[in-house]
Amino acid sequence: MIQFIIILFGLTMLYVSVTTRIESYIKAIAAQGVILFLLVLFDYGTTHLANLIFLSFETLAVKAVAIPLFLIYIIRKNGIFREVDPSITNYSSLAITTAIFAAGFYIAYWTVGAVSNIRPFYFGISISTIVTGLFIIISRKKIITHVMGYMMLENGIFLLALSIAREMPFIVAMGVLLDIFIAVYLLGLFINKVQDSYSDTHIDALAKLKD
Amino acid sequence: MIETLIFLPIALAVLILIVRNNTLNIVVTTVYAAVLLTVSIMLYLTPASFTPYFRCDDLNILFLLVLAAVFFGVAVFIIDFLRKNEAPAKSQALFTANLLVFIASMTGVILSTHLALLWVFVEATTLSSAYLIFFSHSDASLEATWKYLFICSIGIAIAFVGIIFLSMGLGNSDSLFFDDLYAGASSINPFWLKLAFPFMLAGFGTKVGFAPMHAWLPDAHSESPSPVSALLSGTLLNAALLGIMRVNKIMTLAGMKWYAENLLLIIGFISIFISAVYIISIKNYKRMLAYSSIENMGIIAICLGVGGAGFFAAMLHLAAHSFTKAAFFLTSGNILHRFKSKNIEDVRGLLKADPTTGWLWMICFAGIVGIPPFPIFLSEFLVARTMIGAGMIVPLVLFLFLLTINMAGIGKAVLRMSFGERVEDADTHRAGVLSYLPQFAFIALLLAMGVTLPQFVQTIIQKAAALL
Repeated sequence: MIQFIIILFGLTMLYVSVTTRIESYIKAIAAQGVILFLLVLFDYGTTHLANLIFLSFETLAVKAVAIPLFLIYIIRKNGIFREVDPSITNYSSLAITTAIFAAGFYIAYWTVGAVSNIRPFYFGISISTIVTGLFIIISRKKIITHVMGYMMLENGIFLLALSIAREMPFIVAMGVLLDIFIAVYLLGLFINKVQDSYSDTHIDALAKLKD
Repeated sequence: MIETLIFLPIALAVLILIVRNNTLNIVVTTVYAAVLLTVSIMLYLTPASFTPYFRCDDLNILFLLVLAAVFFGVAVFIIDFLRKNEAPAKSQALFTANLLVFIASMTGVILSTHLALLWVFVEATTLSSAYLIFFSHSDASLEATWKYLFICSIGIAIAFVGIIFLSMGLGNSDSLFFDDLYAGASSINPFWLKLAFPFMLAGFGTKVGFAPMHAWLPDAHSESPSPVSALLSGTLLNAALLGIMRVNKIMTLAGMKWYAENLLLIIGFISIFISAVYIISIKNYKRMLAYSSIENMGIIAICLGVGGAGFFAAMLHLAAHSFTKAAFFLTSGNILHRFKSKNIEDVRGLLKADPTTGWLWMICFAGIVGIPPFPIFLSEFLVARTMIGAGMIVPLVLFLFLLTINMAGIGKAVLRMSFGERVEDADTHRAGVLSYLPQFAFIALLLAMGVTLPQFVQTIIQKAAALL
């Protein structure tokens, strides 16, 4: 069952790699939040009650609900609905993401015998999610898609932190601190400002400073 | 005493945000800078450990002293900067508050004894310095801030991946205190350690400004106000470098010295190569100084990679670079104030228009490229000699060649700006004496270090190098 959930987590990344609709990205991010919540609740096996409450609140309330709702608010307000002319076609994007996931599964099977201390399945999927997150950032051109790519990267890191077999609560809690960046990006500080200055929130508008 | 260093500035920042008075901003910044300097000197005289999480040892006292001294100079410079600034009171209060939190978080990076805590403070430095870069509210500064936040947040995420890998490899203990990591270094699983080091090097290296993760650095340094550029270059890069040095020591103790050394050498050479490529045809003098910071961080990485006497050179270079670059950036602020342009083309006849600034500009140039009375000469000479001793002749030739290109690039721009006939000044009034004083103080300090290398300076650097 747990393995099925983790596979679903990987599928959300494959889905993101083929879609151009921003709302689909948001749905994928919300789904990842729910999956992380289920994993924390049923598989993390922490012995500290406070830690469990904190992490389940963070994953469900923040990652799965608050951030996606706020994202939807931002895209409706700014009228951004599609990722226009990404750097590569959807087909190549899917091919590359699939290759990344194939490598992830290979790592997962290889670690089963070779490395102790980790849960192989978590490890393989989280590595491929981190790499795919970086790939999304590189290949998409809207500022908001970059921020969402960073969120997926961060969810991958959260999964990686869960993959340590021993219990190291503060490592998982530290991953949550990366959400502060997301908050900074989103809470009007920038998205709205950037929107004012560069009407189309396109990353090419941010290329004036160079040598 | 830890309360003074971490919590006092945060409390002061809150006070500033509530009161929003410009005079208060100036007074608080200056007083806190004086307090930080005094406390740092006291800590140097009587080392003390505060709590399990914060400690002053022989290595970080050097970083703390450099931070305190550079910040004190910048705080004196900032008096004029804030007084003449026409930004609304809210922006000024936000600026000062962020500045204090920025200093507090760098102090935290320097003093923390725990890898995870160090990481948290590195994240805090990123968040608190974003507004400082954005202070002018221009489109260009917005772009610079966005790049800074985004690239550094990815870097911090990558460093966190490295920390997770390191935790996976921990043997019987699960503590990330540096002392425990050093003590148990040989029991860390070598596979995970080898995987963790490049991630942490790339992650913290993003903040240090190592190429090829340097993309944010020239933008942020050129678009932020000059006192902020001085702080970014003179203190922030050092603080992030301390993280790499601490992790590098784990590698040494775990018997993977060669692996870490080679990675540091590679990243150092890429950095000085990239800076040489850009600096030779640079058009903007603040960007030129930023590329020079990349070069100097590369030199420190090479010093660390060479090892042995290279450690002493690294520490000396780090201190010397901070003071020189702070003076250089503050002077560039005076030039910008007078000529209203960051283009090298637009600045002519600096020596005739404003002799004090002109001479400071020339002296800082001599300091940064390492002309003999200045300590950067000593550190570069020392690392070159160590490389000969280690039989690294080809890398040495490459090193000296790239340094020469950097020197030529900076020299061309500085001489072009200093000499020639004076152009019509847009702004003829001289900056106040406080805009010159810090630079002279830094240069005096550098000359004292370079000419005699006083015994106590030598001892600080030697003790720090011994802990690497």
